[in-house]
Amino acid sequence: MKIKFFATAVALALATFAGTAAAQETVKIGLVQPLTGPVAYDGNGYANTVKMLVEDVNAKGGVLGKKIELVVEDGACNPAQSVNAAEKLVTRDKVVALIGAFCSTSTAAMMEVARKHKVPHITAVSTAAQLTEQNNPYFFRAVATTPMLGEAFGGELPAAIKGKRFAFLVINDDWGRSMVASYPKNLEKAGGTVVATEFFQSSELQFLSLITKIKSSNPDAIVLAANSQHAAALSKQIRELGITVPLIGEGSWTSDSYFKLAGPAAEGVYGLVEYVYTIKNPINEAFVKMSRDKLKENPSKFSGAAHTAFNVMVDAIRRAGAADPEKIRAALTQTNYNGAVGNIRFNEKNQAYGQDVYLAIIKGTVPEVVKVAKISKP
Amino acid sequence: MADLAILGQHLLNGLLIGCAYALIAIGLTMIFGVMNIANFAHGEFYMIGGFATFYLVSLLKVNYFLALPLAVVIVVVLAIIIQQVIFKRLRDAPVMTTTLVTIGLSLLLEHLAHLLWGPQPQTIPNPFPTAPMSFAGIYTTPLYLFAMAITAALIVVGHVLIQRTRMGKAMRATFQNKEAAALVGIRIDSIYLYAFGFGAALAAAAGAVLGGFIPVEPTMGGVATLKAFVVVILGGMGSFVGAIVGGLLLGLAEGLGAGYMSSGWKDAIGFVAVILLLLFRPDGLFKRG
Repeated sequence: MKIKFFATAVALALATFAGTAAAQETVKIGLVQPLTGPVAYDGNGYANTVKMLVEDVNAKGGVLGKKIELVVEDGACNPAQSVNAAEKLVTRDKVVALIGAFCSTSTAAMMEVARKHKVPHITAVSTAAQLTEQNNPYFFRAVATTPMLGEAFGGELPAAIKGKRFAFLVINDDWGRSMVASYPKNLEKAGGTVVATEFFQSSELQFLSLITKIKSSNPDAIVLAANSQHAAALSKQIRELGITVPLIGEGSWTSDSYFKLAGPAAEGVYGLVEYVYTIKNPINEAFVKMSRDKLKENPSKFSGAAHTAFNVMVDAIRRAGAADPEKIRAALTQTNYNGAVGNIRFNEKNQAYGQDVYLAIIKGTVPEVVKVAKISKP
Repeated sequence: MADLAILGQHLLNGLLIGCAYALIAIGLTMIFGVMNIANFAHGEFYMIGGFATFYLVSLLKVNYFLALPLAVVIVVVLAIIIQQVIFKRLRDAPVMTTTLVTIGLSLLLEHLAHLLWGPQPQTIPNPFPTAPMSFAGIYTTPLYLFAMAITAALIVVGHVLIQRTRMGKAMRATFQNKEAAALVGIRIDSIYLYAFGFGAALAAAAGAVLGGFIPVEPTMGGVATLKAFVVVILGGMGSFVGAIVGGLLLGLAEGLGAGYMSSGWKDAIGFVAVILLLLFRPDGLFKRG
């Protein structure tokens, strides 16, 4: 009896010891992305890019002499599910850093998990303005916000499309509403007017009545906030209902997936994007080559975001000198990183600035950069 | 004049969507009427019909017009398997049990679709020219018209099958009184099979014809089921005519509501209409039968 008890105790002690020893041998990073649901296509693209980059880093020796262990969970672009995913990553997998959750509304929910458990959390996809207004020192946004894009290019749009009347057709969530709250003033400063504003639900795939309503307002261009799934259906249905005016979109309008799905409706569409694979600099060109070799595709906007978020995080872990969440968080605030989209630094609200954003137009399924703007310190 | 054209456009849009709702709802109401099953997996037949057509056309290079009925056949075979393996055993189970089973089935089919076909939405390649046609300022495309024609034709075919054939008569008898129907020699098992298969076929047909302009993806079944239930409740559970009228009404209400009121409330409009209607007519528009 006594021996049995003793043996069990030793076994348990060994197991715990072995457990912690194992944990110290890898640097665990948690990733929450929509692997199912309406934006699953882009979410899976993001996750696959991060996996590719982790392999690459590990092949070159890892970080801090250890291999990176990536743990991926499905947030499904659903706030409750994203929170559960993040909780699991932090409490059970003991990750030292979090990346996610793609959709602004889900990221807003997930950042509270980061705050509670004091784990640094980064996104390079969610652009709704209020995410960096939550006073959360653990949340970092490595991408321009929707209002920043509006400020960078809103004033250029009336000249670009040679018209003044703009209609908004946006997804009914934090991102779409952020666009509708911020773009109009930039358009109006350049002489434009907003003639219609319509919202669509994420679960919707036929937009005939919304499009008809927009048509009756006689716009010179339609500004949209939508990702792959909706973007393709919207473009096709807009053209099918006889609307020929230019489309200008925030979202996945410069991705190969959009071109494939939308077909001829993609021609001439303007994209307001934080990344496009045709950017010319050595870091991006190496990334594009890796993506073509390993994933057999050009990086989409979301793959570009994955590259930025992952590399900013790894850069911070290196400078922190330890796989310790607090040290990583402190290192993130001191970020001065040069990546595929230029130089990135964070302001006191952990909002990135200094990087480039792009106005691109699609010509023959290639997104050509029309204008580049640099994000100034907010 | 432009206002009239816009109204006409909204009406046409509403009619197109309404026909689709009606087609999906007919199957649901039949399955409920004959088998007393609230089939929460109904939308998945719609989704699988769309995917089957997509893969037949794009992978196996089957002619589009041949792929449509072929996809329906595939879904019917699936429905028969489900009926024989699952629902036959639950013939005498309480309604709650079968309802839970259909919910589980819905989740299973949705996630299987996601596993097999991935999350990417697919548009079914079709031979119709994409350029819009217009008359009197109202726009449509050949595909939209084709979809409307097919759904309308299938609704008529369904009506004829129910009202004019022996099978239809047997189904209506089972509708009315299962025990009595069995007593006069109607084979209830066969009726159940036909009803379930027929319902699935209609839903699959809707998915097949709409997939040319509404992208097909694994989660689309959920919304379709929800809309179908709204239509069935609106039209009266078990009423064939009710499903048709209800479907068209919902399509038109959504189209006009989104067009002239707020777009963000488009889905809510349908549900509000149902609540209002049920307050005054708790059994729906038409009585069962």
